[in-house]
Amino acid sequence: MHRRTFAALVSALLLGSALTACGSDDDGGATGDNTGVTLTMLMGVNNIYPEQQRQWFTEISGKFQQETGATVRFETFASANDELTKIQTSVVAGQGPDVYALGTTFTPTAYATGAFVELQKDDWDKVGGRDRFLPATLGISGPDEQHEVGIPFASRPFVMAYNKDLLTAAGIDKPADSWDGLRDQAKQLTKDSTYGLAIGYADGFDPWKFIWAMTTQAGTPVVKDGKAALDGPNTKLAYQSYLGWLATDKVVDPAAVGWKNAQAIAAFGEGKAAFLPMVSASSKVTLDKSAVAGKYAYAVMPTIPPGATALPAGGVAATSILSGDNVVVAKYSKHKDLSLALVKLLTSEESQTSYYKTFGELPTNQAAAKALGGDPALAAIVDSAGKSVNTPFTGAWGQVQLALTNVVVQSIPDLSAGKVDDGKLTGLLGQAQSTAQGALDKAK
Amino acid sequence: MRRSEEVARLLPGPLRAVVLTVLLLVVLGPLAYMFLASVSSDLAVARGALWPDGFHIDNYARIWSTTNLGRGLVNSVLIAGAVAVVSAFVALLSAYVLVRYAFRGRVAVLRGLLALQSIPGTLLLLPVFVLFASAATALGVTIIGTRWAVLITYLTFALPFSTWVMVTYLRELPPELDEAARVDGASPWRVLTRVIAPLSWPGLVVSGVFAFLLGWNDVLFASVLTNPDSRTAAVELQIFGASQEGGALPVYGQLMAAALVCAVPVVALYLVFQRYLVAGLTTGGVR
Amino acid sequence: MFLPGGVLTLLVIVVPLAVALYISLLDLDQYSIREWVGADFIAFDNYVEAVRDSHLVHAIGISLGYSALVSLACVPVGLAAAVATQDRFRGRGLVRSILLVPYVLPAFVVGSTWRIIFQPDGIANRVLGTDGLWLNGPRSFWALVLVQLWAGWPLVYLLAAAGLQSLDATVHEAAALDGAGWWAKLRYVVLPQLRGPVSLALVISFLHNVNSFTLPFVLFGVPSPVDVEVLPVLTYVESFQNFEFGLSVAMAVVSLVLVAIPMAVYLRAVRLDTGRERGSR
Repeated sequence: MHRRTFAALVSALLLGSALTACGSDDDGGATGDNTGVTLTMLMGVNNIYPEQQRQWFTEISGKFQQETGATVRFETFASANDELTKIQTSVVAGQGPDVYALGTTFTPTAYATGAFVELQKDDWDKVGGRDRFLPATLGISGPDEQHEVGIPFASRPFVMAYNKDLLTAAGIDKPADSWDGLRDQAKQLTKDSTYGLAIGYADGFDPWKFIWAMTTQAGTPVVKDGKAALDGPNTKLAYQSYLGWLATDKVVDPAAVGWKNAQAIAAFGEGKAAFLPMVSASSKVTLDKSAVAGKYAYAVMPTIPPGATALPAGGVAATSILSGDNVVVAKYSKHKDLSLALVKLLTSEESQTSYYKTFGELPTNQAAAKALGGDPALAAIVDSAGKSVNTPFTGAWGQVQLALTNVVVQSIPDLSAGKVDDGKLTGLLGQAQSTAQGALDKAK
Repeated sequence: MRRSEEVARLLPGPLRAVVLTVLLLVVLGPLAYMFLASVSSDLAVARGALWPDGFHIDNYARIWSTTNLGRGLVNSVLIAGAVAVVSAFVALLSAYVLVRYAFRGRVAVLRGLLALQSIPGTLLLLPVFVLFASAATALGVTIIGTRWAVLITYLTFALPFSTWVMVTYLRELPPELDEAARVDGASPWRVLTRVIAPLSWPGLVVSGVFAFLLGWNDVLFASVLTNPDSRTAAVELQIFGASQEGGALPVYGQLMAAALVCAVPVVALYLVFQRYLVAGLTTGGVR
Repeated sequence: MFLPGGVLTLLVIVVPLAVALYISLLDLDQYSIREWVGADFIAFDNYVEAVRDSHLVHAIGISLGYSALVSLACVPVGLAAAVATQDRFRGRGLVRSILLVPYVLPAFVVGSTWRIIFQPDGIANRVLGTDGLWLNGPRSFWALVLVQLWAGWPLVYLLAAAGLQSLDATVHEAAALDGAGWWAKLRYVVLPQLRGPVSLALVISFLHNVNSFTLPFVLFGVPSPVDVEVLPVLTYVESFQNFEFGLSVAMAVVSLVLVAIPMAVYLRAVRLDTGRERGSR
C-alpha cells in the first residue's frame, strides 16, 4: 500500500537520521553535508489559512534543503493546551521536535523547564544577529538579556476594531483613549438592537488580557517581583469595569456571557456592536467577508486605566500584551547548529515579508517591519506592536493566568443575572491571590 | 411460532409504540440538529438558528481539504480494526486459562480485571509516554509517533473488558466438550482453536466491537502518541475543533459534517453486528 | 497461553501505574520534569496538599454525585428500551441500531454538539422557552447529567436486551397460564431476572462516568465552572496546565482508592467477580 510504504520510508528516514546523529553533537554544520537529515519543527496550526500554511511548509523545507541539504518536517498543534502538553511530553521523554514556535506568553514556561537552548552571543550570530530584530519583540525572550531562549518570529499585537459608520452616526470622532471614556462612548452607541461593545466573556484566553492591561496601566501590575497583586484595589476595579460593561452599564449583548472570541467577532461582523476590543490582525480576514467590510477600522485599545482621566504616575501605557510567536531550540536536539540555521532562514527579511503577505502576521525582523510601514489599514496594529508590554517572565505565569481567568468564569452566573456581587468578587480575588502567590513562591 | 410469540410478548402494542417514539425522538433530535447544522452557514449556527438558511452541502466536500480527515480515517480503521481482532483473540486465550484451569489467585485476577477498568486515563498518560520513550531509547527504535504505540496502548486498555466478556461467555460452555476433544487426542491448543473458538463466536464479536469502539473514539492517548502521519480520525477531529476556537468564526458547518463522517463507520459497524452483539452478551446463548 | 495478555497488561498498565505512584511521591513540576527521576522526594506532601489545599474533595463530591445520578437514571430508560424492543415487529433491527447511536458517538462529537445546543441563544433555550446559562452556574450540573444520560443509557439497554434474550420460553408460558397481565409479568417475572445484567451495567456506567474526561472538557472548557468541576478535568488541569505532576497524580490516586473500595464491596455483594448468581446453579 502506498501509504504504508510512505510511512515506512519516513520512519526509516527518522531512524536513519537518529542513528547517524547518535552520539555526536555536531552535524555537518550549517554548511556541511546534511543530506538525509530531517529537522522537526512544531508550530501552531493556522486555521484561517490552512492550505497556505501547508504550502508554506513545503516551500520552507525546499529552501532549507537548497541552503543546507537538510529538510524540515512540520508538526502542528491546534490550541494552547495542546502546545503545553506537547512541550511536557517531549521534555520528559527527551525527544521530540528540534525547533518549537511558541506563543510568547508560554516562553517563560518553556524557559522554566530548562530544556531549551539559552542563546549566547555566537548563537545569536548564527540566527543573523540579535540586532536584526525589533527591540520591542525581544521583551519576552528571557528573564534578562543574558538568559534568552526565545527568538522573535511573528508579531500579533492586540487592537480594537470599531464600526466607522456607527461612530459617525453618533457624532463620535474616534474611540476614546481611556477605558471610562470608551464605556461612555459605548453607552451612547447602545440603542435599538446594537450594543456598544462586543466581548467574549466565555473565551478561555481573552478576559485576563483586559485585567492585565488595566492594572499595568494603573501602575499596579498583577505580578511584580515575584509578588501577586490580585487582591489589590486596582485589580478589583479592573474586574468591576470589565464585568460591569454587561452587568451594570449594559453596553454588551446579554448573550455574550456564553460567547467566545469568535462569536464576539461574528456579532461585530453583523454590525450589532460598535467596538470590538482584543482582536488581532487575524480578524481582518473574517471581517472583510462580513457585513461590515469596508466600514470598520482598527485603533489601539485605551491606555488610561479605569477610574482615571490621565495616565497615573508609575502607570505604563501598554496597548497590548507582547503577543506573537517566539522560536526556541530544544537542548535535546541533535542538530543544534542546523536548527539555528533554520531559525535564521525563518527570520530573514525575505521570509518575514513573505510570511506577512501570506498570513498577515507582522514581522519581527527590523528591515521587513520598516518596509511595511506604509499600509494604512495596519497603522494601528503596527503602532500597537511598538507599544506592547511583555507579561511577567516567570515559570508560574501559566497558573497566574489561569487564576485570573477563573475569577471571570466563576462570576459568569451572576453576570448573567445582571449583577456583579461585590462580596463574591472579593472572595474570588482572595482565592486567586493565594493560588497565584502559591505558584510564584514555588518558582525556582 | 405465533402462539409462543404472543405469549412472550412483554408490552402491549400501543404502549410499546409510545415508548419507542419517545426514545427515538430523544435520540434522533440532537442527531438531526447535527445534520442540519452541517449544511447551514456558520453564522446561522453561531446565532442558534434551527433551520439552515441555505443548503451548504459543500461543507462535506470541504472537510477533506481543510483537515487530514482522509488519512485520519484510514489510520483509525487500521488501528481500531487491528485492536479489535487481536484483543478478541488474546482475550480468548486469557479467558480460556481463567475458566478452565484452576490456580491460586484466580479469583484475584478476575477481580483485578474489573478493578483495572476503574483506572482513569489521565493517570496513566504521562507514565505511558515516558515508558515508550525510554523503551525507544533503549531499543534504538522509534515507538512514539508510530501506529504501534497507540495499537499496543489500546490493545492493553481493551483487554480487561474483552477478557471479562469472554470469561462470562466461556463459562457457559460445558467442560464435556473439551474432554471429548481431549479424549480424541487433541492438544489444548487444538481444543481451543477447533472446538471452543467457533462456539464462542458471538462473544468474540462483542469483544471485538467494544475494542474497536475504544480504538476509534479515544482522543487523550492518541493525541500524545501519534504524529501527523499516524493520527487517528478522532484526533484529527479534535484538533480541527480546537483550532477553531481562536480568532475567527468557527466553521461550524464543517465541524458538524466532519463529526458525522467520523461517526458513520462505527454506527455502520454496529448496524451490521447488532444481532451478534445482543446474542454475544447473553450468558447461555449456546442453548 | 496466558502470556500475551499478561505481558501486555503488565507492560502498559501495571508498570506505568507503578511509575505514576512513584511520581506522586515526588515534587515534580515544570522545573524538575526534565530530569524527572532525580526530582525531590517529598513523600506524602502531595497527598496532604491534594486533600487539604486543592479542590479535590469538592471535585470528588461532584464526580461521585453526578455519576451515581446518571447511572441510576440510565436504568429505567435502558430497561424501557430493552423491553420495548424485545418483541418482534417490523423495523426492529433498524430501531435497535438507531437507539445505540448515542453510545457509539465519540465523546468529542457529543460534547461539541450539545455545547452548541446549550448556548445561551442556542436551540435548547429556544425550544424550552427558557433563558440563561446552561454551561455555567447551577444549571450546568444538570446539563452535564443530561448529556451523559443521553450518551450513556444505551449501555444499560444493550446489557438488559441480552439478558432478556436468555429468558426461558417456559417462563412466559407459565405466566400466561396463571393469567398474569403484562405489567405483573414484567414486574414479578421478567425484571428480577435482569438483576445480573443491570448490576453489571451500573458498575461499568458508574466507572465510566467518574473517569469521563473528554465530555466535560469539551462541554465546559477550562477553567471549569465550580458546579461541574469533575475529577478528571481537575487532574488534567493540574497536570497539563499547571505542570504540577506530582500533585495531580496524588489526586488521581486518592480518587482511585475512593472509587475502588465501594466498587469492591458492591462487586462482592452481587457476586459479579465469581460469576455465581445468587440462587441459581
